[in-house]
Amino acid sequence: MSFAIETKDLVKVYKDGKAEIRALDGVDMRVPKGSVYGFFGPNGSGKTTMISILVGLLLPTSGHAKVLGHDAIRESVEIRRRVGLLPEGFGLYEHMTALENLTFLGMLDDLAPDRARSKALKVLEDVGLRDRVNAKVSAFSRGMKQRLGMAQALLKDPELLLLDEPTVGIDPDGAAEFRGIVRRINSEGKTVLMSTHLLHEIGMLCTHAAVIRKGKLLAQGSVDELSQPVRATRGYGYEIQVKSGGEALLQEVKHLPETKEAELRNGRLVVVANSDIGSALFSLVAKGQYQIESLTPVNPSWDDVYQFYERGE
Amino acid sequence: MNESLIIARQEFSDGITSKRFWAIVALFFVLYVATGYVTTSIFRVAGFTESRGLLQTASSVASTMTLMAPILGIALAFDAISGERERGTLKVLLSRPIYREHVINGKIVSALALIGLTITVSSLLSISASILLQGASVALDDVVRVLLFIILSILFSFAYYSMSLFISTFSNRSSHSLTISLGVWIFFAFILSVLGSLIAYAVIGPAPAMSFSPGFNQTEGGRQASEAFLNYSRKVAEISSTVQAVSINYHYSSIANSLFVTSVGPFGQQAQQIDLMSLLSSRWIDLLVVAVFPVIFLGASYFAFTRRQEK
Repeated sequence: MSFAIETKDLVKVYKDGKAEIRALDGVDMRVPKGSVYGFFGPNGSGKTTMISILVGLLLPTSGHAKVLGHDAIRESVEIRRRVGLLPEGFGLYEHMTALENLTFLGMLDDLAPDRARSKALKVLEDVGLRDRVNAKVSAFSRGMKQRLGMAQALLKDPELLLLDEPTVGIDPDGAAEFRGIVRRINSEGKTVLMSTHLLHEIGMLCTHAAVIRKGKLLAQGSVDELSQPVRATRGYGYEIQVKSGGEALLQEVKHLPETKEAELRNGRLVVVANSDIGSALFSLVAKGQYQIESLTPVNPSWDDVYQFYERGE
Repeated sequence: MNESLIIARQEFSDGITSKRFWAIVALFFVLYVATGYVTTSIFRVAGFTESRGLLQTASSVASTMTLMAPILGIALAFDAISGERERGTLKVLLSRPIYREHVINGKIVSALALIGLTITVSSLLSISASILLQGASVALDDVVRVLLFIILSILFSFAYYSMSLFISTFSNRSSHSLTISLGVWIFFAFILSVLGSLIAYAVIGPAPAMSFSPGFNQTEGGRQASEAFLNYSRKVAEISSTVQAVSINYHYSSIANSLFVTSVGPFGQQAQQIDLMSLLSSRWIDLLVVAVFPVIFLGASYFAFTRRQEK
């Protein structure tokens, strides 16, 4: 597997008077190419510090970071040529129009003025702001600013997008639109790293995730890989919507050797097992003695996953 | 296009269309009119009827410039970096494939252009208007003095720009940067001269007894007392000047005032206008300070900004 981002034993220490704050404490992170990577952690856990190091805004105290194969310390300009950043707060010039913002930034991305303007119009179209090109940013809603911020990050047609808390303060419709944009970008083969402290964002958008707390990376991997140990510890969950024969099905399920708990309530049979009994359950219901509407595995919630790694279970 | 020039062009466009910039330009003109009126009145009261219209006007422009040039410099610099940092735009700017040097270079170039334009246009406009109104004659020497004055004023304003830029590179809030910059200006422009006098009084004690009654100067005792008082005044001025030598305002005022006939001497005589070359050679320290001050602070700003990390 090739990685868009690889860090090795990355440490960042801030000095606050005589006190030292370890914002990153030996972080080894690997972001697979083509993934939507959720970088989850509470406020102050080191997410912004990590993103700032990756684009060369900050220097690490020790350790190494490679972005798209380039060293983050020595080749930061080359990295910034290929990486788009959407910082927290979006960082837009409020007194300028959407088009002026993007044309100015596009020219700094090495685009000729005409090309910068046409590229700006294209990305504004892509993020659904084509009808607001000449409106001042100060008149934009937060959701529109977020999309414009996304547009500036997309100007250079980046291979990797770094999004720092992109959905904070955005209403549900705006967040849904934003997720649509991220999915489309990802489907074009771009890698997206998104820091967030909102757990549900990970579940809705990410193929991979990492959990960070107090500068230490607690876990990382694909969504499935992260859920697996949680299931193994807390059990594999299933939900069966039963139309008829619920009681009989409950008894049969209880007699399966790996069943830990089973409960029938209002036609909904909830099962927790010590291992994956998905195929055994399917065989049971396929016998045709029971009428069911659905059989679905219940994945642990992201809250469960975070609690699991945060407590070091 | 060069990245610094792209930033400079944007900064210049933002500056020239900002309300803050035009408010300062308006203040310049209001003060030109006010100080012009006061200077003309003083010359009239002192009984100078001989036409030296251009230099009278230039001296009033110099008074305005001493006050306004630092304000212009600070207004352009105090949020140059801290404002970008505060609004989060610095991160977006620095996420482009450019070096930090490009950002600070662009800001410096645009500020120099705005300062140069404001000072040159406002000085030339007010002086030209005065020439037209008074029908004054203009000699080549006058023109050279005015041009030299404009260059010095640009450097003076740019010195405050560079000092405020230096503060801005460290600040996370523009309000902090503005407060510190204004504090430095108030210290150099107002507090230091008071401090100089206080130190002089502390060092040489109170002034000798002096009577200003009619005929006092004709007596032997009166002449001695006047002599002692003049010596005392000279010592006070010397010590005060030494204290104020740390201030760029002092050096700028000294040389700007020397360029023009600005005042009436203590005993009614008009200060003599010195030949330009003699003036420049006698005032080389003032020239040096006005030229070196911005260079030092620009270097410091450059060093601080290019090494600073943005979280």
